[in-house]
Amino acid sequence: MSNLALNQRTKIRASSSDTILKAFIYISIVIVALLCFIPFWIVFINSFASEGAIMQDGFTLIPSEFSIDAYKFILRGAQVWRSYGITIFVTVVGTALAVMVSTMLAYLIASPKVKYRNVIGFMTYFTMIFGSGLVGFYIMIASWLNLKDNILAMILPYVVNPFYVFILVSFFRDLPQELSESAMIDGANDMITFFKIALPVSKPVIATVSLFYALVYWNDWWLALLFIDDYQKQPLQMMIRKLMANVNMAQYVGGTTNYGAVIPTMGIQLAIVCITIGPIILLYPFVQKYFVKGIMIGSVKG
Amino acid sequence: MVNFRGIIGFFSGIKVDIKKNPYLYALGIPGFLFFAFFSYLPMFGHVLAFKKYRVSDGIWGSEWVGLDNFKFFFSGHDWINVTRNTLLLNTLFLFMTTVIAIAIAVFLNEIRSEVFKKLAQSVIFLPYFISWMVISLMVFALLNFDAGIINRTLVSLGMDKVEWYQDASKWPAIMSIVYVWKFAGYNSIIYLAAITGMPQEVYESAKVDGATRFQMIIRITLPMLAPTVITLVLLGIGRIFFGDFGMFYGIIGDNPALYSTTDVIDTFAYRSLRQLGNFSMSSAIVLYQSMMGLVTIGLFNFIVKKINKDYSLF
Repeated sequence: MSNLALNQRTKIRASSSDTILKAFIYISIVIVALLCFIPFWIVFINSFASEGAIMQDGFTLIPSEFSIDAYKFILRGAQVWRSYGITIFVTVVGTALAVMVSTMLAYLIASPKVKYRNVIGFMTYFTMIFGSGLVGFYIMIASWLNLKDNILAMILPYVVNPFYVFILVSFFRDLPQELSESAMIDGANDMITFFKIALPVSKPVIATVSLFYALVYWNDWWLALLFIDDYQKQPLQMMIRKLMANVNMAQYVGGTTNYGAVIPTMGIQLAIVCITIGPIILLYPFVQKYFVKGIMIGSVKG
Repeated sequence: MVNFRGIIGFFSGIKVDIKKNPYLYALGIPGFLFFAFFSYLPMFGHVLAFKKYRVSDGIWGSEWVGLDNFKFFFSGHDWINVTRNTLLLNTLFLFMTTVIAIAIAVFLNEIRSEVFKKLAQSVIFLPYFISWMVISLMVFALLNFDAGIINRTLVSLGMDKVEWYQDASKWPAIMSIVYVWKFAGYNSIIYLAAITGMPQEVYESAKVDGATRFQMIIRITLPMLAPTVITLVLLGIGRIFFGDFGMFYGIIGDNPALYSTTDVIDTFAYRSLRQLGNFSMSSAIVLYQSMMGLVTIGLFNFIVKKINKDYSLF
């Protein structure tokens, strides 16, 4: 009897402590989420603020006066379209190439038939812990391969990323061996087995890795910074950089200096950021789960 | 003593293996080529650390100067400054991101409403998806002297504006916050996955014994997270000599006022190369960095192996 009462009392105490904890947790998470969101909001909403409002009130959560001048100014010029084209080209071609090469390499490393798979795996891993060094890398691409101001310089260096190769390796390792064995009995060689059997069943993980690569290419400006001096070949990310530095904005954006009105300098910087991250934000709700899956595979197996 | 027989045996072994699995090796060829060109061949660039590089003479033709580049690098104060900044900032980043990511994961795990959880997780994960260039502008919108939200808020509270971009002492904290902002969500996904994978029976029996949620977090969730935390921290320590170039160059750029606390080995090497055109000096810096990185990861792996074999990386 007394035991029961005691139990009851602990339960009540437990539940009131749980309520406090729960409230604390919900509030903390809401605050963290807000902190993550606010910078996006500031950039987004102020890109629609008039230049006068930014000058007068600074960046605000809700601008006092709206205007789409910044967008008008950017979109009328030629540079944004060029840079957008470059970014899309680099992302699409880069991702396709990267996924193909990485999947094939991963299949080799994952195959239990290959005696030296661990050596190859280590060679892949080693590039993560011992860098080639900036100078060798720079000379290789700029002098030996002669890729200065060449779009390929923004694509080729990222084609094999060890981390994403290992995500693929761990997926291929888990494929049932019977799949490839039965194909081999039917007379297929390893290459046919790879293309006809392994690839089709690996669609989910390939989708995941593609998205990771696409994100790398979309967001990169390091390669452009090193190798692309010709502004006509620079991607969107570099356009942000250029616009934040003090360039002759009218000439850079529009290819003309004949812009009558005052140039909305601040607004343009914000607008180009929105234009750059727009596609990511729009796709985000649909692709987020693939990234979560990829991170989980990578962390559990890697 | 080099074991030649072993090396010969290794290569003939690979030859046999290739003959046995020609198609599999053929699949790897493009990958090997990319590795060769963009990871392994550029390693020869390290040779320049011991040479006086002249573009006209090329890597091989340039004159050997022994350790002169290193002597020059180590005789100044810059190497101490950039090494200290790299280690200090990476340690701050690692510590703060780990603590906050664990907190986010544990908290998200306690939330029962699926919709709220999904939404919160999505928003917290979002910063991972944008580039340092974009983040750089966000930081600018917050910290800009005239128009920045923070200074405007300070003024409206009756305080003085702060010259954020001139005051180096504030930047270790600012960079840490920015780093956590970008990566806490990403890391919390790893921790949340580890938590979700824990056996539910432990929680149920704890509940039967009358444990509060708080006790369960402290006594069950956190201890069971330890292996994941240790692995991730080790990976972080392995990269402690490598600054995030995109982050530092994107946000700080070429602002000498902030170098004393934010110049890291990577940005220093970049400036030597691209702005001063001193290839040999840059090589010496990068080789120093690569060696230190290798030693660190080897050392930590060794120590961890001694303590607990399961946690070691290789």
